[in-house]
Amino acid sequence: MTSLRIQVNGKSVDTDVAPTTLLVDLLRGPLGLTGTHQGCDTAQCGACTVLIDGQAVKSCSLLALQAQGRSVTTVEGLARGETPHPLQEAFIACHGLQCGFCTPGMLMSACGLLRQVPQPSDTQIADALEGNLCRCTGYVNIVAAVQQAAQTLAATGEKA
Amino acid sequence: MSSTVEAARYGSGKAVRRIEDPALVRGAGQFTDDLKRAGQTHLVFLRSPHAHAVIKGVDKSAALALPGVLAVYSGADLVAAGVKPMGNAVPFPRPDGKPGASATRYPIAFDRVRFVGEAVAAVVAESREAAMNGAEAVMVDFDDLPSVTDTLQAIRPGAPVLCEQAPDNIASEMKHGDAAAADAAFQRAAHVVSLDIVNQRLAPASMEPRVVLAEPDAASGRLTVTLSSQMPTAVRDGIAAALPGLDKEQVRVRVGDVGGGFGMKTGLYPEDIVVAHAARTLGRPVKWCAQRLEEFSASSHGRDLITQAELALDANGKVLALRTRSYANVGGYAMTVGVVIQLLIGPWVSTSIYDIPTISLHLTAVMTNTTPTGAYRGAGRPEAIYVIERLMDAAAREMKIDGAELRRRNMIRPAQMPYKNPMGQTYDVGQFEKMLDQGLALADWKGFEARRAASKAKGRLRGRGIATFLEWTGGNALSEVVTVNVLPEGFVELTVATMPMGQGINTSLAQLAVDVFGVPLEQIRVVHGDTDRANGFGSAGSRSLFTGGAAVQVASERTIEQAKNLAGEALEAASRDIEYRAGRFTIAGTDRGIGLFELAAKQPTARITADGDATAGAPSWPNACHICEVEVDPDTGAVEIAAYASVNDIGRVVSPTIVRGQIEGGAVQGIGQALCEAVAYDRDSGQLLTASFMDYALPHADGFRGFKTVFDTSVPCTTNLLGVKGVGELGTIGATPAVVNAVVDALAAAGLGRDAEKVQMPLTAPTVWRALQRDFDRPDWA
Repeated sequence: MTSLRIQVNGKSVDTDVAPTTLLVDLLRGPLGLTGTHQGCDTAQCGACTVLIDGQAVKSCSLLALQAQGRSVTTVEGLARGETPHPLQEAFIACHGLQCGFCTPGMLMSACGLLRQVPQPSDTQIADALEGNLCRCTGYVNIVAAVQQAAQTLAATGEKA
Repeated sequence: MSSTVEAARYGSGKAVRRIEDPALVRGAGQFTDDLKRAGQTHLVFLRSPHAHAVIKGVDKSAALALPGVLAVYSGADLVAAGVKPMGNAVPFPRPDGKPGASATRYPIAFDRVRFVGEAVAAVVAESREAAMNGAEAVMVDFDDLPSVTDTLQAIRPGAPVLCEQAPDNIASEMKHGDAAAADAAFQRAAHVVSLDIVNQRLAPASMEPRVVLAEPDAASGRLTVTLSSQMPTAVRDGIAAALPGLDKEQVRVRVGDVGGGFGMKTGLYPEDIVVAHAARTLGRPVKWCAQRLEEFSASSHGRDLITQAELALDANGKVLALRTRSYANVGGYAMTVGVVIQLLIGPWVSTSIYDIPTISLHLTAVMTNTTPTGAYRGAGRPEAIYVIERLMDAAAREMKIDGAELRRRNMIRPAQMPYKNPMGQTYDVGQFEKMLDQGLALADWKGFEARRAASKAKGRLRGRGIATFLEWTGGNALSEVVTVNVLPEGFVELTVATMPMGQGINTSLAQLAVDVFGVPLEQIRVVHGDTDRANGFGSAGSRSLFTGGAAVQVASERTIEQAKNLAGEALEAASRDIEYRAGRFTIAGTDRGIGLFELAAKQPTARITADGDATAGAPSWPNACHICEVEVDPDTGAVEIAAYASVNDIGRVVSPTIVRGQIEGGAVQGIGQALCEAVAYDRDSGQLLTASFMDYALPHADGFRGFKTVFDTSVPCTTNLLGVKGVGELGTIGATPAVVNAVVDALAAAGLGRDAEKVQMPLTAPTVWRALQRDFDRPDWA
């Protein structure tokens, strides 16, 4: 076991992990953050996407120790207190989710995009979500939701 | 019921925010793998690497010696413990008149494996890692047998045999219609078209893999099984039937959030039995979470039907007869549902919305060394509708008339309703020509040639495809019971046996309750997925709203009627003088009254309760006109969806947002079949080649985003209380033929003519490019 210190959703976490532990397993297991989902074994579905230092990363393809000293944001850390993140609000408003299993990963990938490209085109959104699979929505409303969130953020001057 | 402010805002017909969503977007959903019990153990399956092999022995000793490993189960262990095989009656007789045949499917393969991915051992350990290590240490002595995965090869003499009772690998077969009459019609026909049509095998691929958590309770002797399923009651009954000394009252099945089902999560799976058995024998909670590899290899597949299809038409283009010869690859074990879907349910809609007097359908269920097939969104109807819609275009091309016009000439007229089709299925209502006209207008049918010219100018081949069709819904499970509890905490609670799995059924049911109670949507709670509280068929076959929704209305109205009596007592007035509106009972003509929830608090049980049941008189028949335009890049064969318009007759709409999501999301699944998805096996080894999302191509976000979707609500269903029609599968059924017809049209116009009809799904870039070189894969009928 190796000691690990990371920030998760703004809180400092000190824990011991095995060198083989994947970040997703640390999050879902000992940390109890089950909003991060696991839908495949080959890093294709994107349901496990989180932000590491603001960048969207698939937490199934990263060892927990690789996040040493970094800041991890999961879907549970997306809202600002009781206020939903504009992306969360837009996914509901645009019917951008059906079963909701891919949704946390979609939200985090979209958040990563909006931090880098605050006003993306629909094509840029679709490209940014290339690594996230959804079987229910057909993606139409997801792209619309990200676009709506981008506009909300632009209108309020907030950062994603 | 009186219209109230709340009903006007949140009731049926209103676009509301789904009640499922706030938790899901916060990551606070309750998917089965999110549960962690004290003392929980983990189960991992060892699965067959062989398509076909005899199991000579299973050596568990090395696995049992590993740290953390608690138990190892072989198929023989389960048989010795009295665990029964999967209950499975193969419907319809074999060609020799004997009963339908299948090898017995054990929860863990017992003496022989019949497909890659079939479980051969289960290991339970303190951690998932230890269980995985244990599975690697189990030594199975296999004696490899020749295998066959191809449908047409499997029925040839000398093919490897999967089941002694079926030396020809035929599980069962079915003939529908009047073969002699059909032959006569083809004799006198002015035009005959025939096509080879392959409905390729698909993986349903819900994003959430299957998960099962079983917890024994030593004190009560009961077993609680929590899993991701569309049919909790069927799982309860199946587990009770399979495990020795357990009756269904001792099993409680619970289902939380389901991360997509699409028919794949219907019924009982072998894994459910094994996890339940392990929990009972170990006396500890046991959890199994499928890896994606297991989902691809061991969860039911869908479709897989090869058809020789022929249409006979008179000189005016009136269809005289439909004749098909079909072979369904039902996998290594012929499961009841997999056979019924192909041999009966598909045929029910084989003539679709067309007035075709004569049919002759001959369908054979073939066993091969592949994963057993079951329900996948549409389940038989996509296959049948694809066949007839491909034939319609072929006939139009043959006769050199417009495909829309040929369809129009054959459509069943409203005056013919109710209409009994040659399969004996009765359509209550439908205005198919009206749907066609609206579809043609929405898609600007007349403006196509200009768009084709514009595409040509940029080097693209443009094609246009149409599908006009209907589908059967309801699963012939047309009854549902709902319990309403009015609780003093300020909630109306609906306890239901239907299951949300992404289709937002709880929101739709809540909206129907708002119609009756006139309270805000937030005050309606829906309890689902608990066989201790509600039982029924579950959610499948687009049945939930027209059966469960009707029961919600009945139960809600009954609750209010009953509560009027209670209000009369509380207010010391005659119940006939009590009026209800928006959460409050009043004595007519006075301002004296009592609130609904206040009244509930006054009751001895602190609630007002009523059950309501509803039975639809018949299936509903949603129908639609879907029109797609594609652009093909002749240099690469790549297909792009350029436009997609659909008009959908779905009766009354309760949740417009949800319905649109169902149609468009469903259409993308249909587009997936048309353009990219296919389960592939290596012909020689029987290995599954598409065992990950790397190899099995789901549609991605960079697909298509320009749906034009219109609802026609002017023709309510007449056989259910609500007038709604099932909508969960409509988009998937329409999209596949609309897209393929468009690509065939592009290829035909590019000079291939009717040769273009030889192309088979999925229409990937290489397949389309090869078609442009007149190079086609054809079914090997020899």
